[in-house]
Amino acid sequence: MASAIALRFRSGKFSRDFDFGGINLLLNYDEGCLSDCGYCGLARTRPGDYNDKSFIRVEWPLVRTDELVERMAKHESKLTRLCISMVTHGHAYRDTCDITERIAARVKTPLSILVAPPTLNRERIEHFKAIGVDMIGIGLDAVTEDLFRNLRTDVPAGGLKWEKYWEVVMDSREVFGPWKVNVHTLVGLGEADQDLIELFVKLRDRQIFPYLFCFNPEPDSRMAEHPKSPIQRWRRVQLAKHLIETEDWDLDRFRFDADGNLLNMRGDESFVNGVVDTGVPFVTNGCPGESGEPGCTRPYGSYRPSESFRDFPFVPTGDDLIEIRQQMALDDVL
Amino acid sequence: MTNAHTTGHEILVEVSGYPVAVDRMYHADSHMWVKRLTPGTVRVGLDALGVETSGTLAQLSFVAVGDELARGRAFGQLEAAKFVGPLVSPVSGTVSRTNDAVVTDPGVAEHDPYGEGWLVELTSADETELADLLGTPEAITEWFGRTVEDYRLRGVIAE
Repeated sequence: MASAIALRFRSGKFSRDFDFGGINLLLNYDEGCLSDCGYCGLARTRPGDYNDKSFIRVEWPLVRTDELVERMAKHESKLTRLCISMVTHGHAYRDTCDITERIAARVKTPLSILVAPPTLNRERIEHFKAIGVDMIGIGLDAVTEDLFRNLRTDVPAGGLKWEKYWEVVMDSREVFGPWKVNVHTLVGLGEADQDLIELFVKLRDRQIFPYLFCFNPEPDSRMAEHPKSPIQRWRRVQLAKHLIETEDWDLDRFRFDADGNLLNMRGDESFVNGVVDTGVPFVTNGCPGESGEPGCTRPYGSYRPSESFRDFPFVPTGDDLIEIRQQMALDDVL
Repeated sequence: MTNAHTTGHEILVEVSGYPVAVDRMYHADSHMWVKRLTPGTVRVGLDALGVETSGTLAQLSFVAVGDELARGRAFGQLEAAKFVGPLVSPVSGTVSRTNDAVVTDPGVAEHDPYGEGWLVELTSADETELADLLGTPEAITEWFGRTVEDYRLRGVIAE
């Protein structure tokens, strides 16, 4: 919906005043997505007509590709990043290539693809690069093999394979190079802090970005009643990920209890406080714009406008930082 | 301005592609309309442009019946897909009724902003404040048309 507002397909405004130019596109098919992930609004067995289904809890207005490309060209000066989200469908690869080529012919804004691994092989990934794709995202979402199996494989119409996802991650890394691949990790599906932090280190060591997403229950999905991650935990995970990715912290800096809950971060207190004060750890994780600035910022993507920002589509300062500090209770883990 | 017609209890005209009811008064900044029901009692709602620029409505909530409102104070909250903000009272008064229909389904305020999509009713509305509102069809349509053009230039509404 934010993208539809930015391209003026829909009227609307944001609660706060910030620049926005990260356009997220989602492929649409009459048959819908053929996957059935327990937390996803597009899940095949989620009740309701596919065209009425939400994804990350908002409506995705349907537009024609020609019209979309025209609007992108018209508003190019304010666009920072484009992203096409594939879904699991037999035509998704063909159509993603077609849309990419049509966009790349008219617009220079860097373009990412959030891929559907079941539709891909290495040759297809190489073709994405050849036609102008800048970055590849893989929606792993569930950060352990057990969770992945329970939510995405062993489900009514599931069948997604953990191994296939990682094959696409590693092929993409080889084809696209360092820091050109990102793995989406969804916080709050039932994983432990240790699971997340171990994955962040593993990805960082391979020069792959972990992108954080906050689980936000979709009405009528199988996880509709599953609670969101408490904000305190979410803030600490945001900080831990930033310290690993930007400050090169390793696993030995973090101490966990027997259940994998984060107990302690071993770092100089004033240094860590300085990192928090930058506000950067709490900005939305997304592919950068042309100059390295946050490009894909998904405002209100995992929280309602009436709730606290989970991630910020701008660098938080002032009162926002005060609130973040209160939510995080950093002293308890330093 | 084209196509003046009556629908239900409203007298609607079309201005720059939007319906405007000219049988009531308007507070320009808040996009709230005010319609007299009986002496001292008014009904308040959000005009079509206020609804449009908010985006798809998700939730409307109101203060309690009996609450005293001063002009410019919030009588509720509007939440849309990407926006949340106060519903600002265009006049002072006491809340005598709130519209349960729009609380249950905010879409009613989108589809029928001048009729079934009204928001609250106030008693003891201040007559001097009512006089400050836009109150003639000419003033209303001139303001509305100018505002639509301004919003289009600023990219606030869909193309």
